[in-house]
Amino acid sequence: MTEMVIPSGGTPWLTLVLVIPLLGVAGILLAQESLSRQVALGVSTLCFLVSLPLWFLFDNGNGGMQFVEKHQWIESPSIHYALGVDGISMPLVLLTTLLTPLCILVSWTAIEQRRKEFMISLLVMETATIGVFAALDFVLFYVFWETMLIPMYLLIGVWGGPNRVYAAVKFFLYTLAGSILLLVAILVLYFEGGRTFDILTLTQAHYSPNLQSLVFWAFFAAFAVKVPMFPFHTWLPDAHVEAPTAGSVILASVLLKLGTYGFLRFSLPMLPDASVAFGPIIMALSVIAIIYGAYMALAQADLKKLIAYSSVSHMGFVTLGLFALNAQGIEGAMLQMINHGITTGALFMCVGIIYERTHSRQIVDNGGLAKAMPQFATFFVIFSLSSVGLPGMNSFVGEFLVLVGAFEWSKLTATLASLGIILAAAYILYMVQRIVYGPAASAMLPKLFDLNPREFGMLLPLVFFVFWIGLYPNPLLDVMHGSVNRVLASQSEIVTVDRGQQTDKPTRLVADGAVNSQPLTGKVQ
Amino acid sequence: MLTFNLTLSGSDLLLLLPEIFLTLWLCVVLCLDFSLKRITHQQLAYLSIGGLGITGLMLIGMDVTGITGALFKNMFVLDHLALFFKILVVLATALVVFMSIDYVRDFRFFKGEYYCMVVMSAIGMMFMASSNDLLSVFVTLEFSTFGFYVLVAYLRDDIRSSEAGLKFFILGVFAAGLLAYGISLVYGETGTMVFSEMAGNQGSYGLAIGFILIFAALGFKIGAVPFHSWIPDTYQGAPTPVTAFLSIAPKGAALAILIRMFYVALASFKPMWVVVFVLASIVSMTYGNVVAIAQKNIKRLLAYSGIAQIGNIMIGLAAGTKQGSDAIMFFLLTYLFANLGAFAVIIAVSQVIRSDEIEDYNGLNRRSPFLAAAMLLFLLSLAGVPPLAGFIGKLYLFVAAMEQELYTLLVVGLVNIVISMYYYLIVVKKMYINEPTDPSPIAASMPIKVAVYVGIAGTLVLGIYPGPFIDWAVDATLMFSNIVAPVAALSVLPGS
Repeated sequence: MTEMVIPSGGTPWLTLVLVIPLLGVAGILLAQESLSRQVALGVSTLCFLVSLPLWFLFDNGNGGMQFVEKHQWIESPSIHYALGVDGISMPLVLLTTLLTPLCILVSWTAIEQRRKEFMISLLVMETATIGVFAALDFVLFYVFWETMLIPMYLLIGVWGGPNRVYAAVKFFLYTLAGSILLLVAILVLYFEGGRTFDILTLTQAHYSPNLQSLVFWAFFAAFAVKVPMFPFHTWLPDAHVEAPTAGSVILASVLLKLGTYGFLRFSLPMLPDASVAFGPIIMALSVIAIIYGAYMALAQADLKKLIAYSSVSHMGFVTLGLFALNAQGIEGAMLQMINHGITTGALFMCVGIIYERTHSRQIVDNGGLAKAMPQFATFFVIFSLSSVGLPGMNSFVGEFLVLVGAFEWSKLTATLASLGIILAAAYILYMVQRIVYGPAASAMLPKLFDLNPREFGMLLPLVFFVFWIGLYPNPLLDVMHGSVNRVLASQSEIVTVDRGQQTDKPTRLVADGAVNSQPLTGKVQ
Repeated sequence: MLTFNLTLSGSDLLLLLPEIFLTLWLCVVLCLDFSLKRITHQQLAYLSIGGLGITGLMLIGMDVTGITGALFKNMFVLDHLALFFKILVVLATALVVFMSIDYVRDFRFFKGEYYCMVVMSAIGMMFMASSNDLLSVFVTLEFSTFGFYVLVAYLRDDIRSSEAGLKFFILGVFAAGLLAYGISLVYGETGTMVFSEMAGNQGSYGLAIGFILIFAALGFKIGAVPFHSWIPDTYQGAPTPVTAFLSIAPKGAALAILIRMFYVALASFKPMWVVVFVLASIVSMTYGNVVAIAQKNIKRLLAYSGIAQIGNIMIGLAAGTKQGSDAIMFFLLTYLFANLGAFAVIIAVSQVIRSDEIEDYNGLNRRSPFLAAAMLLFLLSLAGVPPLAGFIGKLYLFVAAMEQELYTLLVVGLVNIVISMYYYLIVVKKMYINEPTDPSPIAASMPIKVAVYVGIAGTLVLGIYPGPFIDWAVDATLMFSNIVAPVAALSVLPGS
């Protein structure tokens, strides 16, 4: 049964994007071991190409779900195979399809053992993450959400570093414990929101404040672990350090976004009262994460650990922007999600490139690469500066918007958060200074050689995005506007009621286009 | 007084046709075994599978055409519920016979009789699914268990198998005693044996004790805590195909009786027995999962995980609604494929490495990517990871519990998923992450592969396209749609 019109000529683009990696899995199973990486690369590139229509056919004026597909999956309780993307999820889908082929390129020579299984895990991950972003049915969402755990567990556990088993199990149990609470929340919403698993219907339902706070914390457990927010971040450095490069890239670029996506898609619009009520707690945790992550990054001697802690700090900006609950904050947070995916993914690729040559991730072992690897050094400096948030580069726009949003929420918060940027400058520049310009470690010199075409090719597209978003973010912001306004509309409804008397916030919240957003009932067109 | 005059017509016999046919087929197989000198045990196995296949087709035909009825003064009832469980039993038995072919080759004696015992137990369990009064419960239960007494101790040179047989026998006989005593108390209180006639009876202590004793006897069959103590040793010692058989078929048949007894005979006492099932469920899940963590032997691990799975199943009984029984039946289907599949992998591995220690599964992925991947799927389905069958099964159970506002049970069930994931993950880790000590490949024989493929297919299909199977379970329990009225039933309780 299809109740809804599928725009763009009825081609089920999202299903195609979901299925192509799975076909790739079948292809790899049939192909010889030696061909598996070629098959995987071909399939994931194809998947990226097929996902491009999502961008080009996207209607910016429509803040609701597009490319919607809906079919009955199970009758009772009614569960649907329902897919769709809006301005929030579409960029994240594209980020995933872009990064997967790059991850395969990263692993081209780095993965020598059990290549077949490795490629299968990567492709299953791709389907699962895209599914999470595109699912419009809660059970379907949960299915993809959980499916992701096993391939990631294997990526870390089988191809990781020496302490990989510990890291893999820690990753698995942390996220599983979070997901179980998510399942509870989903079941509660099912019964309270009118016996449906349809995410859009559940978003429109109203829940009592008590219920909202219970569900909010259940969601929080699932999403905060994924983000990861302080104090649930401890699995991240372990997982990053032990994971193979491609695993780190996927983890940093895509997996962490699932948590913030969850907050944005579910917590804010479904639980507006609770989001306002508990906002200060989340904001405080975000500020702690920003400063603590940056502070920890300063002290790291291991490159991957350094970037992992910087992730904690950068993701703190994302949650900060989200729970500022205003247009600038949320759009900044979304940009920051994309930016972090590009920049941190690129930095992990760079670390992988170094590691393939010197077999060490210690900063002291890898000094003075500029002389031996000038091209690499150029890329590395670009991505590092992007991570610092240099104007003209991607992170600047995102962090700036987040700080503006946070400033409106509370001046103190914004001030404290900007400390994170200063600390970021400190740890990143200190790292760059030692890695790129420092004294060369003589033992490593013979092993160093500059980028080969493959490595060059996988870093180049990311440079493009760094500057594109940095210099001209409007196309991306335009995509997000409509959907962000919808989220805010659900917020402002209650904010005007609950806090309207005490503050002047509601007017500002509704400003910036939220006023002319369509009524919520017309969400799926 | 119980009088008995038997009138049977041809059309009545039709209701018994699958059982009669399978019994005759069993006799033929037995005769062929001793009369033809050159017949091999493989041929006997395939003959048995053929017979089971025909029986299965008959049952499916009866289910589709809706041939139902009751015989022998309601002792034997053939309805969709019974047919569901019969098909389940026949499917499990056929898979077990496939898995047994390799294993039986190494027996020194009585190869052909093995299959006869398996099929005989299956016939017993088919009758169990149809039993509708206490007398037939006793007879059919003992009939099916009789075959298992022999099967568990089949490796007579193996001390563990003999020990397992003895333990199983002693505890089984004890449970039979409890059952008989319980039946006598219930009959004394109600004056009837038939479930449907007991409904609406006044509650009394004698009746309560009687039913608790019957519940204990059936709890022994399904291996619910606190009646589980025979399970680990018996599972470990019994020949592995028999363990696989034990792990699903008798549980299914006993659940058919449990559902009938509690939903029909005891419907009016629902508020009381719900408490019993909630407690039994919580204890079974938690005990099974926690103890499973410490296991070193894969058969023992699956034994404890089976105890926990029964805890999951009892969530559905605790819900005590039609939705609950639907969930139980669908969950049993998912459990059948995942559990039998896992045992098929265990047999394939143990045929080569002659060990069931989890330690020896190190690097299985390198030695046989197929078996390792299959085992991974089965374990994840048992744990309830989507998009595999087990997830949908557990989702249904939880929804049924939620509908009845059994929040404690729900939370305990969910926490148990995390615990169970931990020990399934230990096995996954051994298979995928650890390096094998002996990298020689492990090849699975054709019959085992068939069982594994069926398991994989079932696990995937039930997970991704569960619709028709859910409908099947829903249709099978239509007769319970009217019995869910716990509030009204409260007034029937003594003293309220």
